[in-house]
Amino acid sequence: MLHGNMEPTPPLTLPAMLRVLLVNDTEKPIGELRQALLAIGYRVLDDVAAAGALLKAVETQQPDVVIIDVDSPSRDTLEQLAVIHRQAPRPVVMFSADGDNQLIRSVVGAGVTAYVVDGLSSARLAPIIEVALARFEQQTQLRRKLDDVQQQLVDRKLIDRAKGMLMDKRGMSEAEAYAALRQQAMKQGVKLVDVARQIIPIADLLG
Amino acid sequence: MSQTDLRDERTLRLGFMPLIDCAPLIAVVRLGLDRKYGLRLQLLRQASWAAIRDKLIAGELDAVHALAGLVHGVETGIGGPRAELAVLMTLNQNGQGISLSTSLADGLAQGTPLRELLANRPHPPVFAQTFPTGTHAMWLNHWLASQGVDPLASIRSVTLPPPLMPEALARGELDGYCAGEPWASAVDVAGGGRRVVRSGEIWPGHPEKVLACRREFATLQPDIAVALTAAVLEACRWMDAPGHRQQVVEWLADRDVIGLPAERIAHCLLPDDTQAPATALRFHGDGLVNVPWLSDGVWFLQQFRRWKLLPAQSSESDEAIVARIHRIETYRQAAEWVGVAVPSVATRPQPQAADDADGAMHKFGASLH
Repeated sequence: MLHGNMEPTPPLTLPAMLRVLLVNDTEKPIGELRQALLAIGYRVLDDVAAAGALLKAVETQQPDVVIIDVDSPSRDTLEQLAVIHRQAPRPVVMFSADGDNQLIRSVVGAGVTAYVVDGLSSARLAPIIEVALARFEQQTQLRRKLDDVQQQLVDRKLIDRAKGMLMDKRGMSEAEAYAALRQQAMKQGVKLVDVARQIIPIADLLG
Repeated sequence: MSQTDLRDERTLRLGFMPLIDCAPLIAVVRLGLDRKYGLRLQLLRQASWAAIRDKLIAGELDAVHALAGLVHGVETGIGGPRAELAVLMTLNQNGQGISLSTSLADGLAQGTPLRELLANRPHPPVFAQTFPTGTHAMWLNHWLASQGVDPLASIRSVTLPPPLMPEALARGELDGYCAGEPWASAVDVAGGGRRVVRSGEIWPGHPEKVLACRREFATLQPDIAVALTAAVLEACRWMDAPGHRQQVVEWLADRDVIGLPAERIAHCLLPDDTQAPATALRFHGDGLVNVPWLSDGVWFLQQFRRWKLLPAQSSESDEAIVARIHRIETYRQAAEWVGVAVPSVATRPQPQAADDADGAMHKFGASLH
């Protein structure tokens, strides 16, 4: 008689259709990762074996993850991408047989996420790639948030300036000036800051 | 945080790239100068500047052949990891070059401005360099700007391993590149282009490679840092003494170093009478080469700002940043030990950007004023 709950564990939820690019230009068997990655359900792009091909592949195919040997001669090409990473963000997973955690910690920086893969088992690989992506996503979101906050500060200054001009030239109170701007914005179907941008340059013409 | 291991603290692992200007590091071991200063240096060839940087930071390497500027990029966290490294000394000046496709080189030779030659193309011209915060990227940008070409707006700049650059130029995938020797002049051999300007003609006496280490190593093991600097300094002096470079040619031709034919190496390494000493590759210059000039570090930080790799200003001055990185005191002690004169101040004149000959704002790149 069978006892107990013998249901199989549900499969890990993985990002769908993760696009992985393997840079296979050293003696380390990076190419062998292909089967392991396919088995997890990732989309593995055609390997590249040189820096020029790597650049082209990143641009045209936009992988989510690039896997490259620590000792690949193509690493400096990826460095350039890390520098312009706002336009072309790519997490980078390092493959190192030595499993040196120091090395890994040292390459974790803005836009570049690195992990050791000291075995080729797919079970190890999936969470590693997920964590790499999560880390990168976190950094990208932080950066976006920072950009938003900075933009809000700029907008706020413009709105204040426009308000000041209305108070000055039309003798309005602050509340009246703000209401006037808002009304104009609603009328035109634009944002407050856009109205401010209309007013500021021509304010001198209005006396 | 260096790796815990069983090796003697006086055994140091030195990383280098297979370029002509790794010569002093090869020489220091071949000549036994490491032993003379109580050290044992192990040379480990690397495949990329990124690997050199990362292994140095992690402790797999103790000191490295590095692009001047790479260390400052790491200090300010441009693109990659941020870490505290140090510059012990400058290894060489000059010796790099910019090569263009045959058609561009011919056009320039006929007196047509580069700006015109590159105009009206269906795709932006492509130029290659060796590392985004490295020397070659800075020489390339500076030179393009001086030719009236905005390196941020008018071209596409890519990083490639220099051994691939000559073929890429010959195949038409590149319009030009800036790299060290033997790769800048390799295109003269491969065909499809030629070297049009030597880096020493852009900024005579520019810093090129430096000897770098972790800052922690320089501060917590000062006597070993001084010994290392002294050994390499003596090797640099030896390099520039008459007749020595011929021997170095063979060392560099070795398969485990650069592995190219000796004639190619000799062509780039041996002094040539057509060049003024101030523009030619040199490793010592009676000590003037080897000082880790603070002004050189400031120049790189300013170029990073100019080309928008860094914001226009940091919370502290460039001088303050550089003062932490360049180990002036270590160098002084090493120089005294070796018997090399040191200047009284560690600054020297910086080049003016050629696109603002009258000292006004740079025409290209972010304003520094």
